[in-house]
Amino acid sequence: MVSTSSYLALSGILFALGMIGVLTRRTAIMVFLSVELMLNAANLALVAFARSWGDPTGQTAVFIVMTLAAAEVAIGLAIIVAIFRKRETTNVDDLAALKG
Amino acid sequence: MTLAFILLGALAIVGGIITIAAKNAVHAALGLVGTLLCVAGLFATLNASFLAATQVIVYAGAVMVLFLFVIMLLNANQPVTGHDPVPFVRELAGIGGTLLAGAFVVLAFTYEDPRPLAESAAALRGGDAMIMGETLLTRFLLPFEAVSILLLVAIVGAVALVQRPEAQPDGVPDELEQPIGAARPERAPTPRTGAQPALQAGRESEVSA
Repeated sequence: MVSTSSYLALSGILFALGMIGVLTRRTAIMVFLSVELMLNAANLALVAFARSWGDPTGQTAVFIVMTLAAAEVAIGLAIIVAIFRKRETTNVDDLAALKG
Repeated sequence: MTLAFILLGALAIVGGIITIAAKNAVHAALGLVGTLLCVAGLFATLNASFLAATQVIVYAGAVMVLFLFVIMLLNANQPVTGHDPVPFVRELAGIGGTLLAGAFVVLAFTYEDPRPLAESAAALRGGDAMIMGETLLTRFLLPFEAVSILLLVAIVGAVALVQRPEAQPDGVPDELEQPIGAARPERAPTPRTGAQPALQAGRESEVSA
């Protein structure tokens, strides 16, 4: 049986990969894909903890996170489509109108 | 068991690297699909069979189809190149990510299970739908109902967001109202706001780069 630490380490690596993606990619859709990667890394850690404690609470939390992610993707992609119609770009550097 | 973990974990990391490094957005999305499938397999090795099935159906299926649909709808599969607004952003992000991953790995190996792993895993009864449903409809009843309302709001919000704006009474003829044979402008002029010239110039240079 693989130790919980190994799963947590894998989860941390995936999370860091997602963070690099969020920081370096320039297209809003790619930023979104990286955010999904980070969410999945967090889900993996939650399931690993659920097995470690023998408690299905962690798995239920993952279920709810999945639902939230689905809602977030639906709204986020709708926003991206709306922005693309108005500005003809999804480059986040060109969409920095609100920067302070 | 160990072999499955190593194989799935390595494939998940490879998929993650493809996701963040691929130039073409479609390739990146397919890399993420690979990662999600590998994570589903890892869920199965973690006594969470119901979640593994949900991950494949909801994430690798529905959510990624939505992503691919939008990538192709917006024709966004071409890479965005051009001037980097922040100097050394890739290098800084790479160093920061490596440090973060290292810190996570070190932290992970300081974790100790509160009780023997085999005993805990047996208490989960394989993570089937029954034990999930029991928790979801007793301890998590309020979040469960809140999530259902959230999904409804998300559906309504998405429909409202992508609605076409109503025609403004500004005297400019609508593109679709022109006769079929008339020469249509290459891009519909947007009378209300219009993309700023600087943005358009920047985009053209990016496309040609």
